[in-house]
Amino acid sequence: MYHVELLPSTKTHATPGWTYVPDRGFDPAKAAITPAIGRKRGIRDPGRADLTSRQSNAIVRHLAELDRENHRETQVPIPVKQKDASGRGTRGKVTSNVRRILQSQKTFRNYLDDEEASLAQQATTQAQQTTSHRPSVNKITKPTTSSSRRSSTPLTATTTAATTASKPDTSRQRKHPSIAPTSSRASTVTTLAETTEAEPETQPQAPAPDKENPTEPTNTTDLIKSEHDNDPLLKSYIPSAPSERIMQALVAEPPLTYNASRAGPPIMRKSPRYFCCMCGYWGKIRCKNCHLRTCGLDCYKVHEDSRCGAFF
Amino acid sequence: MGTTKPRPSGRASVAKVQSLPDKTFIIDNGAYTIKAGYAPDSSPPDDESKALSACSDIPNAIVKTRGNKIYVGSQLNTHVTDWNEMVFRRPVEKGYIVNWEAQKEIWEHSFFDETTVRSKDLRITDPEDTTLLLTEAPNALPALQKNADEIVMEEWGFGGYLRCVGPSLNAWNDVQSLFGDPIVQEANSAVPPRECLLVVDSGYSHTTVTPVYKGQPLQRAIRRLDLGGKHLTNYLKEIVSVRQYNMVEETYIMNEVKEAVCFVSNNFAGDMEQTWKGSRKRGLPELSEGVVVDYVLPDPNAGKKGFMRPHDPLLNAKKRKGALSGASTEALSEDALVLGNERFAVPEILFTPGDIGMKQAGIPDIIMQSLSVLPTGLHPAFLANVLVVGGNALLPGFVERLETELRQLASAECAVRVRSPQDPIRSTWLGASRFATNKDDLQKVAITRQEYQEHGSSWASRKFTGAL
Repeated sequence: MYHVELLPSTKTHATPGWTYVPDRGFDPAKAAITPAIGRKRGIRDPGRADLTSRQSNAIVRHLAELDRENHRETQVPIPVKQKDASGRGTRGKVTSNVRRILQSQKTFRNYLDDEEASLAQQATTQAQQTTSHRPSVNKITKPTTSSSRRSSTPLTATTTAATTASKPDTSRQRKHPSIAPTSSRASTVTTLAETTEAEPETQPQAPAPDKENPTEPTNTTDLIKSEHDNDPLLKSYIPSAPSERIMQALVAEPPLTYNASRAGPPIMRKSPRYFCCMCGYWGKIRCKNCHLRTCGLDCYKVHEDSRCGAFF
Repeated sequence: MGTTKPRPSGRASVAKVQSLPDKTFIIDNGAYTIKAGYAPDSSPPDDESKALSACSDIPNAIVKTRGNKIYVGSQLNTHVTDWNEMVFRRPVEKGYIVNWEAQKEIWEHSFFDETTVRSKDLRITDPEDTTLLLTEAPNALPALQKNADEIVMEEWGFGGYLRCVGPSLNAWNDVQSLFGDPIVQEANSAVPPRECLLVVDSGYSHTTVTPVYKGQPLQRAIRRLDLGGKHLTNYLKEIVSVRQYNMVEETYIMNEVKEAVCFVSNNFAGDMEQTWKGSRKRGLPELSEGVVVDYVLPDPNAGKKGFMRPHDPLLNAKKRKGALSGASTEALSEDALVLGNERFAVPEILFTPGDIGMKQAGIPDIIMQSLSVLPTGLHPAFLANVLVVGGNALLPGFVERLETELRQLASAECAVRVRSPQDPIRSTWLGASRFATNKDDLQKVAITRQEYQEHGSSWASRKFTGAL
């Protein structure tokens, strides 16, 4: 038997009938706004796709409602006034650009659709030319990943620093003194950032920060000293700040697109919380008809009598 | 300086050396209010409140009252007495200027038209002798940026112009004293930007997380949560309409209610228990006194404003008794909303968007997402310098909650400090004004009118992205 399901979408203009939609796989930016859709295969792991398309449609509708400026869609016209009051006469005639922009009644959604379309077109032409996609990103990520690896394996790093100190690359990362996490405040963090950014290539700079650290306990006198302070196992390693060259490359990057900068789903998935639709307390029981939550029998009775839509 | 030379006239100097005009006008064009004013001529005053006196908040809206009267911009604060069923038209959508027809009207009304400009300090007499510094939200659409450039340069013809990402300007503020750090580089007069600053800008349309390095945004790490003050107001409006009075038309009043009563809970489950109605019914000791409040709705006929007061559980009984014994009509006619868990459940969606079914992460999580694309060496510096700006920063408990949750997420080696400036709404403007006093730096990034006329708008947008 046929089963027709209306998939939630962020498109505002409704296409009559049906349409083919390009499925470009999982897109974290989009996944955040269009919730996962319940499918048969989701039955086995209900945590992943626990929403029916009806529920996710309701959520999308609710979010669109929260995004509204006014409850009703009403036009507020610009107040009309006499021509010369605006002081227009002094500024010469209107250029075609200005006229076009002022007369445009496009909404943000229209502009965003335009941009998405042009980006999609760009992507297809780029794919045809088989050019590498954003090579600058790869160039930058490489040194950063290697620096983070160095910091996570501190023991080998210190030995290599001792043996091959002549290499400018290894001399850049220096041992951080064993300070308890309470004292590793931003003062040390910023000195770390400053000293490494100052001039990583110059060799005479390298011993200076080490000399600086013994003088530092003037403001951290309350720390208890023991002979285990220099134990490599107890050391806390803060990765060194990236070099000026990496920072320049990072700063020079072009901005992301509007959709790409949207925050993704949470890193750590917490179980969703439900609230009583009547009083706002924890939603402990679910209405068997409409799946809305209520906190107890009191609220459930009110819900059942007056509000239960029983549409789901 | 102006007296020694007879009419130095920006036009002549622009024609020769292409330097920027002396005066700089700053517009932080928010979706809810415009923050605007002239930058100080020389070094910024040390006193922050003195520096902020040059900045005014202007509502960025054209409104229609229920009497079908239309008001523009700052008239909202002076002319309107009846806020019921107010309808808003906002030129800024999702944080970006979209409708220039309305925006131009508000700008003309606030800055250019002699008859309506509120004070002399806000008037732009001749744009040719003025540099305009306009802020924009990060990740703007190029088409909208182009529109802004064309309107600014072709409609008004400013002598100099700079469009830049708003949150990054906070780096020029006096962040050191806010975080309690020793102030370095006091000797030279120019204000240096903060080296590493993570700006959380929670405004009307959305909340953005912007890591700023030496005053420059790190574009790849900018993240946005599509929730802001507007959504909180609408959510509160919706809840109250279901539970108490129908307030769906009363956006303005519910915004006032939100600003008066809402707070960010630092113990969500505990506060929830306190507001449970069951504990009252079962005769348990009344816990709710701290959290549950009444909000007395404004009465436009009596000319009274709304206000918050502690919850009075016997209010209805008293009213009934008063009606029998003939108490004053004033007390009888007042309408009050009882606000319990709404007070903290509404701002909670900024931290747990899952509560309204949204699949995006909360603000602390987004900060970690943003940092995850940056070198690990930068994490300690950014986590120790988190600055919260924008109107939602005024919610009590916001900063504490963010610090607590960020502390749990961040690695133990990093110090986590979250602060909010004295005036989080005008903080970006203040940073811009401190930046603009440094004329040399401004000269490097801004464009002049002549350059625009020579190279056009696409050149201008490339210049502002730093591609040139």
